[in-house]
Amino acid sequence: MKLAYWIGIPAALAVMAGVPWYGSPVLVQFGINALLIAVLAQGWNIIGGFAGYASFGNSVFYGLGSYGVGIAMVQWNLSFGTGMVLGVALAVAFAVLIGLPVLRLRGHYFAIATLALTQVMAAIVSNIDLAGQNVGLVLPPMNDDTMFYELSLGLVVLATLTVFWLTRSRFGFGLIAIRENEVGAGVMGVNTTLYKVSAFALSGIFSALAGGIHAYWITFLDPNSAFDIGVNVKMIIMTVFGGAGTVLGPVVGALVLSAVSELLSSEVTSVASLFFGFVIVAAVVFMPHGMAQILRDWRKAGWRCFVDNIKAYRL
Amino acid sequence: MDLFAQILVNGVLLGGLYAIMALGLALVWGVLNIVNLAHGAFIMLGAYLSWSLYTFLGIDPFVGLPITAVVMFALGYALQRGLLNLLVRAPMFNTLLITFGLEVVLTYLAQMVFSADFRAINPSYAGASVALGPITIPVARLAAFGAALVLTVGLWLFLLHTRLGRAIRATAQNLVAARLYGVEPMRLYAVTFGLGMALAGMAGTLYGTVSQINPYIGSALTAKSFAIAIIGGLDNPLGVIVGGVLLGVIESLTTLYIGPTFADVASFGILVLVLIIRPGGLIGRTRTA
Repeated sequence: MKLAYWIGIPAALAVMAGVPWYGSPVLVQFGINALLIAVLAQGWNIIGGFAGYASFGNSVFYGLGSYGVGIAMVQWNLSFGTGMVLGVALAVAFAVLIGLPVLRLRGHYFAIATLALTQVMAAIVSNIDLAGQNVGLVLPPMNDDTMFYELSLGLVVLATLTVFWLTRSRFGFGLIAIRENEVGAGVMGVNTTLYKVSAFALSGIFSALAGGIHAYWITFLDPNSAFDIGVNVKMIIMTVFGGAGTVLGPVVGALVLSAVSELLSSEVTSVASLFFGFVIVAAVVFMPHGMAQILRDWRKAGWRCFVDNIKAYRL
Repeated sequence: MDLFAQILVNGVLLGGLYAIMALGLALVWGVLNIVNLAHGAFIMLGAYLSWSLYTFLGIDPFVGLPITAVVMFALGYALQRGLLNLLVRAPMFNTLLITFGLEVVLTYLAQMVFSADFRAINPSYAGASVALGPITIPVARLAAFGAALVLTVGLWLFLLHTRLGRAIRATAQNLVAARLYGVEPMRLYAVTFGLGMALAGMAGTLYGTVSQINPYIGSALTAKSFAIAIIGGLDNPLGVIVGGVLLGVIESLTTLYIGPTFADVASFGILVLVLIIRPGGLIGRTRTA
């Protein structure tokens, strides 16, 4: 098993890194989208999968990252890299300032408070002159899909390594303890506030980076697309589909579901979204712990693991 | 001053509609502990149902309310019995996700059946209004407000005084204890979800008489319903009315005095504040979130 990982993962990475050289431009563009969503899903995994806080506020980080790049490049004529730093700084500031009060809430209440924050941010940004108000910003064009692709792939690797570090560090164990029993974790000496805010910020950094790359790649952003709650819902779907709280689950989930949705929209154009809805419903019913759990239990139980999954949560 | 009074009246009338939109969401959430992200899609479905009844059969939307309610109840009952009961005990992410999946399915089914065009239910009295001194009150909005009020009080009395209502409240408080007293959760959950969807459907009917509908209105309505349910609290239908009216008034005033784009900032900002300061809702008993 260990050996399979040591050979399989570098091999898969090499194949993916080579796509711009042997794949079609369409495949590369699909790849950029899918990889950026994988970054978002992996980032969400930190706060949602490990700390157990269903954040709908990661769209805010995504939007702040986009606007960091947009404002730096369009309004201040700075470089792309400076813009990314600005976006990350905005995201961390937001995570700390808003995280402190909002992370006191739990369960659905946290989910809804962050959902509301996304709406508020979209409305606020659409009134800021510097951010181009409702019209948005048009960034200088940059036609280098290979660069964007490799940048996104690198970000996926970085995010995955971070999550891997979580599974074997004091910080990560603290987050898992918070997910399982927050009061208990506090009693055992975990500084829950610090851990939660750090997880929120870490999760936000990856969302902001992905948002920045996306903005520069698309070369256009406006409040509604930057603070789109749909992006956040996608992160959650991909993560849960792959397996929340696992290392590779969110990335695999994001790549598989992006491919499914892409295939559907090219094969059965008019009903693609409808099918996507059915896929989500079926996935939640048959694999509530994601593909990671199915892969693990398949050898033992075969088809029965689907039935067991349903039995576990039915009334 | 006249303008202020007019805005206040508009806000209150809007608030009644808001309240009934949130009522079904609050009921399902409180009893089943499912935050139904498809709630707005059910409102949209109810609106299209009434639109079809009015356009093809000539049934007035207010007369057609019971028909919409029954159809939506049956749909909700079947959905809970056949699908959602399979995962009521699953973690929160999973119920959020499956209802989101349902929202997607319903939205695109509606798009296929009804097309993406804007529709409106336009009975003869749609444009009529009564003057009350310097204030004009649109008849359709007033009727929608009245219907919302009647339905809310009706739900409140039902939960308080009927056997089924008591069973629903008991289950919301403690499933195990309710079970020991002979409540059958499979059926009770289905009935509750059906009730929630009937309320959503009727809210859709009323929404359709005062505003335009298309298949994509669902998610915005879900967000709004959330805000109202939280501000009003989940315990008591009357709290939801207060939450709805409060939000309606605040939105109308913000639109007038600060600017229309800030209406959402105001309502969701209040939502976040209420969540942090009083997680049990403004009216409900305080509860740690």
